[in-house]
Amino acid sequence: MAPNLHLAHVSDVLLTWAVFCYAFAMLGYAAEFAGTRRAARAIENGERRNGALYSRRLGQAAVALTFIGWAIEVGSVTTRGLAVHRVPWGNMYEFSCMVTLVAVTIYLTLLLSQPLKRIGAFLTLRPSRHTMSWRSRESVRYLGAFLMAPVVLYIGIAATVLYAAPGPLVPALDSYWIKIHVVAAITATGAFMVSGVVTLLYLLKERYERGLPPLHMVIARRLRSPRHPEQFSFGPGTAAAAEMNAASSGLMQSLPSAESLDRLAYRVITFAFPVWTFAIIAGAIWAETAWSRYWGWDPKETWSFITWLGYAAYLHARATAGWRGRRAAMLSLIAFGSLMIDYYVVNTVITGLHSYAGIS
Amino acid sequence: MTDTIVEEEQPAPLSTQPERPADPAGRGPIVAAVRIWRQFTSMRTALLLLALLALAAIPGTVIPQRGLDPVKVNSYLAAHPHLGPLMDKLSLFDVFAAPWFVLIFILLFVSVVGCVIPRVRLHYRAMRRRPPNAPRHLLRMSASTGWETDESPAALGKRVHTMLRSSHWRADLRTEADGGVTVSAEKGYLRETGNLIFHIALLLLLVGIALSSLYGYKGTVLVSQGGGFSNARADYDVFEPSRLFSDSQLSPFSLTMQSFKATYNPANGEPLTFKADVHYTSSPTSPSKPYVVQVNHPLNLPGAKVFLVGHGYSLIMKVTNADGTVKYDGPTAFLPDNSLFASHGVLKVPSLGAGGGQLGLTGEFYPTAAVTQSGGLQSIFPAPDHPVLALSAWQGNLGFNTGIPQSDYSLPVTGLKNIGITQLSPGGSWKLPDGATVKFVGVQQWATFQVAHEPGKRTVLVAAVLIVVGLLGSLRVRRRRFWIRAVPAPVGQDPRRTVVTAAGLARSDVGGFVDELDDLVKQIGRSPHGAIETERD
Repeated sequence: MAPNLHLAHVSDVLLTWAVFCYAFAMLGYAAEFAGTRRAARAIENGERRNGALYSRRLGQAAVALTFIGWAIEVGSVTTRGLAVHRVPWGNMYEFSCMVTLVAVTIYLTLLLSQPLKRIGAFLTLRPSRHTMSWRSRESVRYLGAFLMAPVVLYIGIAATVLYAAPGPLVPALDSYWIKIHVVAAITATGAFMVSGVVTLLYLLKERYERGLPPLHMVIARRLRSPRHPEQFSFGPGTAAAAEMNAASSGLMQSLPSAESLDRLAYRVITFAFPVWTFAIIAGAIWAETAWSRYWGWDPKETWSFITWLGYAAYLHARATAGWRGRRAAMLSLIAFGSLMIDYYVVNTVITGLHSYAGIS
Repeated sequence: MTDTIVEEEQPAPLSTQPERPADPAGRGPIVAAVRIWRQFTSMRTALLLLALLALAAIPGTVIPQRGLDPVKVNSYLAAHPHLGPLMDKLSLFDVFAAPWFVLIFILLFVSVVGCVIPRVRLHYRAMRRRPPNAPRHLLRMSASTGWETDESPAALGKRVHTMLRSSHWRADLRTEADGGVTVSAEKGYLRETGNLIFHIALLLLLVGIALSSLYGYKGTVLVSQGGGFSNARADYDVFEPSRLFSDSQLSPFSLTMQSFKATYNPANGEPLTFKADVHYTSSPTSPSKPYVVQVNHPLNLPGAKVFLVGHGYSLIMKVTNADGTVKYDGPTAFLPDNSLFASHGVLKVPSLGAGGGQLGLTGEFYPTAAVTQSGGLQSIFPAPDHPVLALSAWQGNLGFNTGIPQSDYSLPVTGLKNIGITQLSPGGSWKLPDGATVKFVGVQQWATFQVAHEPGKRTVLVAAVLIVVGLLGSLRVRRRRFWIRAVPAPVGQDPRRTVVTAAGLARSDVGGFVDELDDLVKQIGRSPHGAIETERD
């Protein structure tokens, strides 16, 4: 059946609107952050200002915009599916949109699953990793500010570089396994995206909690005077570190504790990792039907396996003395990096059997 | 293995990793071996091996691999005459079969075995032990609560014990010296069970892979329309048996291809469907049955699966010598050179007779031909909408008598004499200078089938399912403990009152534990009045 070009156009327009919503939501979240910092400083200085209220409103507006953007993106994906008479994840463009949809869905789910002021019998005397639950966790709205950036970037790349005209599936993809294998891959990728953002925030906050200045400031200073790097000491307690930390402390203090960021990242990964494992297995079963072997070390298979190993290493590291925390987080970011290679580089640069990008 | 040694700030350590016995003290080769084994099966080694395996796999995706694209490997070797052979010696063109890659793999699995065996034993023991007794001061624990009630300690203890058991806690009722009653309960053993299932399933996966690579086989055959093959080694163009394969494993089926049809998107030439209509018999005595083999729809036969893996054009040519004797009449398979199916092929006629020598024809075929700007021909669509066959005719010694195996798809033209070139449409004829005639009768399709037998497939599938199930258990189940203590009210207070304290402890980071504790105490009947308020920070 020929694609319905009118509907496909509607889908494209809706996607543009969704991106606008996400982009403005990102600005709203950022403004809330900035406002909270200013309000905090004002209170410190003894000024009476009501900036905190406005910034809070901005944050609420950002959440509303995220919901609207999400609904519009659902509409975009649905119309795309109706236009091409098949599942709307048959090429890289469509896959990217689905991944962002999953990431935003996970964020909104986290946001919604925070119970409003419910007071229970079990109260936390002191924070402990053993008793942390939804209730004792801080709001995840901070995540919105940092998640919207990769979401917008992802859709941006999809809509410009990876855009594929609406069309039918190539025969190799025409199987019910596309509903199983690809959905699992999309879900896991979206979740890994969320955990990647949280992990990055964890690393920032962890550094701050150790009294070290933010890495980008250190790099900026080193670049400004590359000749004498030894004259700057940035260790905890030094004047330079204190100065740089003061500059970033507003942002850092608005973030939850490193421990709770670490825990959130772990929770998301414990969801994503089994789904990713399932995606690889479902892919192998499909490969057995389509290509006569369940595993052939095709570049896509190999990089998926490398990603799997990376996250497996993270899970092990998290339980190994000396690797817990920062090093485990680095492993998780490396694993996410290999997932991105698996997606962008393998699909477009390395030739393999998974050449369904729909771009030439 | 996840979940180990986490230093506990809590009174009762609760890790899903059973504690390991201490390293043996002293000297001697056995002690040293035990120490090395301990080191080898430690989490740190597992971590290192996981990272090494990931790194080792990377070259296999960057450097061309024989298993994936042998042609690319050969051209790489030709382009790098010095570096190429060195890389070949390091197995960089067969990374996934390289000794160093296999070694890391094996080490990882040995480390898994070393980790799993003691843990299975310890986990079995842990599951049979009574849950540990309640700590002395439950209210000191981070998640705790207390209240007062009129129910007697014994009655409350009994009720809670029954309640916990019915909701699948392992619960233990104890009476203390001061008349107090405690219930200790534990749940979430599935976490370690899942963890062990996951790691054992990885070993099972290896067994399945080994079975396939030891007893399986794979054969590829090109079949023209109307042609067919039997499942015998000689019928295959390429046959890859595994190490312990024997010909008796070949099931006696045969197959003929009635027709092959490909459809393409008229807008961009991308393929839409490939269908091969075949008739097959599972054994020489059984009746022939029809089937349509498609991509994603292989033919399942006992002991083998038949896959459609490729297709192309066969050109029917008729060669007549000067006498009018037909020397050749039939399809010749041409190999596609690109996705628009511009193809090349060769027809060799050993002896034309009647004065003619050996004749070689090299051809280029364009299913939908168009003239390029430079005046050459190209294909602009993969379907045979406007087929054109460009032929060159060669005379001389084609080398039939040399005993060297001949390629069906190429003709080395050195030493041969070109006697003409032409372009033909279907039905067109070409008269050669020596009087012979070449007629381009028409176009047919061929298809390549791959026949594969992987005896370990089922084992691999079972292992894969267990891997996911085990992972879900080991990552999503929370190991937690719950204690409740009921004691008679202290002297001087209402003697009918009972003071109840309760506390919970969760080991893993899956959220919602405090809610679960809340629901538990609500079920037990914590009265909202008289609750001992604890402050929240």
